Parts: sequence; C-alpha cells; structure tokens
Amino acid sequence: MTPHSPGTGQINTLIWIGFFAALIVVVAINLGLFGAVRRFRGGRGRSASAAPAHPGIQFRVAGVLAGFAIVLFVLAIIFTSNALSTPSTTSAGLASLKGEPLVIKATGQQWLWRYNYPNGAFTYWKLVIPVDTEIEMKLESTDVVHTWSVPDLAPKVDAVPGKDTQVIFRADAEGEFFGQAATLSGQAYAPMRTTVEVVSPERYEEFIVEQQKGIKKGQEAAEEIESEKLKTEEEAEGGETAAEANEAEEE
Amino acid sequence: MNETPHPEIAVDGFPPRRSGWAQIVTSADHKDVAKILMVGAGGFLFIAALELLLMRLQLAIPENTFMEPYTFNRVLSLYGGTAIFFFALPLVLGLFLYIAPLQVGARGTVLPRLSQLGGALWVGGAVVLYAGFLWTPSEAGVNPLPPLSELAFLSNNGVDAWLTACGLATLGFVLIAIDLSATLRVARAPGMAWRRAPLFAWSAAVSSWLMLVIGPILLAAFTMLMIDRNYGGTFFADGAGGSPLLWQHLTWIFYSGTYMLVLIFAFGAIAEIFSVFSGNPIFDRRAMMASIAAVAVLGTLAYLQNMYTAPIGLGWKFFGMLMALSLIVPIGLIFFNLIATLKDGALQMRAPVLFAIGALSVISIGLAAEMQQSLVGAAWYLKNTTDSTAATHFALIGGAVFGGFAALHFWFPKITGRTMGEQLGRISFWTLAVGTLVAFVPMALAGWEEDQVVDAYKFFNHTGVNFYNLIASIGVLILFVGVILVLANAVASVKGGARAGHDPWGGDTLEWFALSPPPPHNFDVQPDVRSDRPLRDIRAAIARRAHEVEERAARESQPVA
Repeated sequence: MTPHSPGTGQINTLIWIGFFAALIVVVAINLGLFGAVRRFRGGRGRSASAAPAHPGIQFRVAGVLAGFAIVLFVLAIIFTSNALSTPSTTSAGLASLKGEPLVIKATGQQWLWRYNYPNGAFTYWKLVIPVDTEIEMKLESTDVVHTWSVPDLAPKVDAVPGKDTQVIFRADAEGEFFGQAATLSGQAYAPMRTTVEVVSPERYEEFIVEQQKGIKKGQEAAEEIESEKLKTEEEAEGGETAAEANEAEEE
Repeated sequence: MNETPHPEIAVDGFPPRRSGWAQIVTSADHKDVAKILMVGAGGFLFIAALELLLMRLQLAIPENTFMEPYTFNRVLSLYGGTAIFFFALPLVLGLFLYIAPLQVGARGTVLPRLSQLGGALWVGGAVVLYAGFLWTPSEAGVNPLPPLSELAFLSNNGVDAWLTACGLATLGFVLIAIDLSATLRVARAPGMAWRRAPLFAWSAAVSSWLMLVIGPILLAAFTMLMIDRNYGGTFFADGAGGSPLLWQHLTWIFYSGTYMLVLIFAFGAIAEIFSVFSGNPIFDRRAMMASIAAVAVLGTLAYLQNMYTAPIGLGWKFFGMLMALSLIVPIGLIFFNLIATLKDGALQMRAPVLFAIGALSVISIGLAAEMQQSLVGAAWYLKNTTDSTAATHFALIGGAVFGGFAALHFWFPKITGRTMGEQLGRISFWTLAVGTLVAFVPMALAGWEEDQVVDAYKFFNHTGVNFYNLIASIGVLILFVGVILVLANAVASVKGGARAGHDPWGGDTLEWFALSPPPPHNFDVQPDVRSDRPLRDIRAAIARRAHEVEERAARESQPVA
C-alpha cells in the first residue's frame, strides 16, 4: 500500500511497528530454538542431566514479555486513534462545504458498489471525490455483508445489512486508487472492485453537474421509451411497469 | 500393590478381539474410537490438501478460467470444513483420546459409550459433507456468514449439508470431550496428582474443557441458522429482531477456541517429545501448566480480533486486542520453557524431534504474524488480505500438521507396535518445511504489499501479484507432496515398520509402561505414581531389585564359615 490520506499514513506506520515486533519475536524464538538444538545435541559426549528449575526466572521472563505486550498495546491504541481522527477540509479542498464533511452514501450489493452524492447524483463502481476534502462515507448493504476497502485512502469497513457504518477519510493527492471488496459475497465477489478517482474541487463540481445532466437525460429517454410502449401495447392497466418500479426503487 | 510393578506384562487369557474392522467399528474402547478419528483425519488431510491444491491451481495464473466461480466457492467451503472439522480437530482429539488415558494410568475411559457415539457422529458428519459433494456443496465459504448463507442468497441445500456435517462432527467432539475430561478427572492412577501428570494429559484436559465451552456455542449458532433456513426463523435476519452480527460473535468464539486447542495440543506434544529425547524433565512444569490454561482462556476471549471491521464499538475492538496481546505472556513462557527443557540435555535428532522443532518454528512465524494482525489499526488494512490467510495457515499448519506429525511419529510405535520409517520421515519433514515457506511467504507478501483479498476465485493481471501467486501455488504443490509422503510412510509402517517394544524411546510417562499396542484394558495393574516421571521410578525399582537379587544370590553362594 502507498498511503494517500492522513489516516492510512498512521495505519501504515502501525503495520511497520507490528512487523518489527513480529520480526523480533520470530528471530528471538528461532535463534533460541536452533541455538539450543545445536548446542545440546546428543552424540557429542554429553550425557543427559537434570536441569535444576529456577522459579524466579519465570517471573523475569513473564515481566519482559508483559512489558513488550504493553508497549505494543499502547502504540497500537495511539496509532489507531490517530488513524481515526481525520483532519478537516483544507483551503485546497471543496470550498462550498464550509468546513462540513462531504457526505457520500456507499451501498454494497451483489456485486457492485453504488455511490450517492449530495444533490442527487450517483455513480456505480467508481467514486469521484475532491482532493483535500473530508469525506464522510456512510456504508450500507442491501443484501449480504460486504467489506469496502480502498487501502491507500481509508480503513476497511464492513457494510452489514441493517447496520449503519461509516468511514471518514481525506485524500491527500489526486489520482486513481483501486479497491476490492474483501468479504466473500457470492459468485462475482472477485470482480467486485471499485475505483476512487480523486480530482480537484473544480473538476468535482463539473463532474457532479455532468452526472446530474446525464442522469436526467437517461431518465427522460427511459420515460419516452416507456410512453411509446404504453401507446403501442394496449395492456397498460394502471399498474406499475417494470421501468417505473425500478425508478421508484432508485429514488 | 505390595509388589513392585513390572513393565513386562503377560497378556494371556483375554477374550479374543473380533477381527480387524469388526473390532474397531463395534468397540467402545477409547483406543479404537481414537483410531477411527486419526485414520479418518489422515484421509481428510489428503483431501484438504488436494482441495487447497485445486484452489491454488486456479490462482496460479491471473484471470484463470480453470474453475467456475461457484466451483471455486464450493471447493473453498469444503476445504474450510474439511481442514477444521475433519482433519485438525479429529487428529488432535483422537491423539488425546488415545494417549491421555494411558498417560495417567487409566484402564479405559469412564464413559466409553459416549466416546463411541461421538466417533460415530463424526463419521456421520464426514459422510454428510462428502455426500453433499455429490449434489450441491455449500458456496458460503470457510465461515458461512449470514446473510450470504441464508436461504435468500444460497437457496440450494448445500449450506444445510455443510451445517449438518460440521454440526454432527462438533457434537461428536463435545461427547468425546465429556468422556475425556471425566476420565482425566477421576481415573488417574493412585498418586497421579495434576502436578505429576504428563503435560500432554494436561493439554488434553484443558482442551476438553475448552471444547465443552466452545462446542455448544457453535452448535447453537448452527441450529439457529438451520431454523432460519428451513423454518422461517429470523435469528440472523436484519430488521426482524435478528442480527447478522450475532453469527460472527458465536462462530468466532468457536474458531478462536479451536485455534487455541490446536496450539495447546502441539505445545503439549512437543513438551513430551523434547523431554524424552533430550533426557531432561520439563524445565518448569507449573509454569507450563498455568500458561497452557491461560492460552485457552485468553485466546478464546480474543475472538473479537476477527471483528475489527464489523460495526461494533471501538472499545470492544481494543478489548479484543488486549486479550490477543496478553497471549504474548503465556505463549512466550511456553516457548521459553520448551527451549529451556533442551538445556544441558543430549537431544537425539529423531524424526519426532525434527517435526517438533519444525512445528515450533512454523508456529512462531504464524503467531508473530497474528500479533501484527491483532493491532486494530494494522488490521484495518491487513484483515481479509492473503496476509491473514498466510498467518492463520502458518500457525495451524505448524500446530496441526507439523505438531500432529511430531505426535504421530512419536506415538506411532505405541499405537501400532512399529516405528515409522526414519529416512522417509526426514525427507517428508524437509518437503513439508520447504513447501510451507514457499507457499505462504509469497501469499503474505501479496496480501501485505498489493492487498490481494482472501477467498477470491481469481486475481487480475495488472495488480502486481502474478509472481507471488505462481510461487505460492508451487509451494502448495510441494506441501501436497510432503503430506502424501508422511501418509505413505504411516501406511507402509503399519505393517512394514521396524518392530518397537513397549518403550522404544525410553519415555518416562506411563503410556510407555503399557504394551504396544496396548491391550483393551491398558494395564494389568495400575502403577503407584510417586513422581512426575513414574516409568523412570519403575525402572529404578527394577534395577534395585535385580541388584538385591544378585547380592542375595552372591551372599548365598558364598561358603559359610
């Protein structure tokens, strides 16, 4: 991972702390183990003799281990808390928000992500966000458990049906970032990927307008097709047609 | 019990055992039930390794079309169920059930019919799992999380079969755990206080108590999901009073407990092996016993570390991390005491020792990686990447495969009366060791560096993980060959191994006092236990008596003045 947000920077540091702690553990155990095996192998004239037990040494070893665990615990809490406290929108970010976070709703479903922006725009698969802006992403799932994960930008979070979860992050650099759903959700789980495109605030505003226009055009076209259908086919019985039902659902 | 016990026991005049299969299938003897579990576990190890190999074949090259997505998910679900419920747990509990009663000098288990029923239920579960393979296996993954495992999303009967199979097996394990814990409580030989009992027997006791706690919790979860699927229940349905998160709590308790059970087994077996082959007593028994019990409790409470991305309070996540990190103390003490046991000894490098050393080394890598995963913030990236798969496999392959094979090589002479081939044992050990490293180190790197996710039936070409995945697949192939070598060695040695006496390694614990293989009643006489090395006391007593007899003979042969 290459962190591109303040939070993932903290996460990355904590991963490296964990790695070096793990390295210390592995090296210590294996050096001790293989050293003892080499030194005390039979067949070199050594005879077995009972080693006297030292009760005090257990407490000393336990003390060292406890100290190690406590240091790791404290470091983990510090860096985890830091990762959660995302700094607010900077002057380079989206100005129209006036310091409020940009709220985006992400909906996981088998097998894609849908992103709802403020002002009615929405996208599938790809999320477009302004750089240097605090994003508050509300996650929900309409079917099974999905995990939203774009490792360069934000911590992993589960979208669980019936539970409201959220993740707050701020992208530091423009660019495209890739993500992959991380909990088995059925057959097309592997291609359930997502892209986050971080753009300048101006480009973001343009994108939202384009998107709204596109959605409107699409809806008009759909309505046209629908009304033509109604004319040609005479079986309109006042009930909702499939297309209308879809629209209602999307609203 | 006035006479000093004598290790060479005459076994004439016992009721004849039925021939071969009939004896094992109908017997309630703990050794026969354990044999069913262990032989079955060996077979399922082969199947699980084959399934892992199939999945790695699919993941050897990017965007592979060798398997359909649903086929991959089916193999994945079968692999999870097989590896946990039909390889690791039966192997561990089978060895406990065979060896632990012998070690404490019991002449059988106290509730033998319960164990027999447990073994039968386990066999039933195995049949259901692989009969399910004939029509539609589950596609819900290693841990079938609702709502995916609910009827609405997987409507065929695969999940029901998976739940029934693993549920039957778990019920069997619970019954065996009842028998084992009762036996170890009441049937120990006179003088066999816990402070003198072998550490493997202590591991067996702790493990069966642990299984009595976690087994019923899993059974409850399975039952609830079955009700949800078949009788319109809403235990795990959101919006109707249920919650999908409930499943995660219940099942992660079981899976974390099982993880600890496998580790406890490995530590207990390695303690016996190190002690016997170095000629030393355990460095500090009390510290080992306390640590093993602490691992069971803390490790199970650490189950919340599987839920760091789930919608639970941050405080709970920190609690899970606290429990996971506090494991450093008991597990560190166990490693320390095991290594210190070798001090000033004369370690003989036989196959069981080789596997025991390998087990400790592989477990250390796995647990260190799990320690990294247990840091909440770090897990927000590492969780559900192949890095976490690799960590789990290092720890569990270290515990169940290396630890299990160490125990198998060690107690094989007791179970069959013959030793396993030493040369093939060495070759298979190195094959397994190389395979494990080549398979799981690249997998960890793919997860850590490039965020490759778990359980996915394919990966994409431009994501920078092609090389890692190819190497990992080759590693699993080597691992598979190693598994075959060990199993072949075991099968060949049942009939063709070198004959072993009742005590081929010079052990100090009571299982080596019984014949190999032990008669149905284990011991003619329950020996009096005066120390934590009872067989050594018996040998000393025999030597003393022989000496006295010699002296008396010498005295008597002297001419009287």
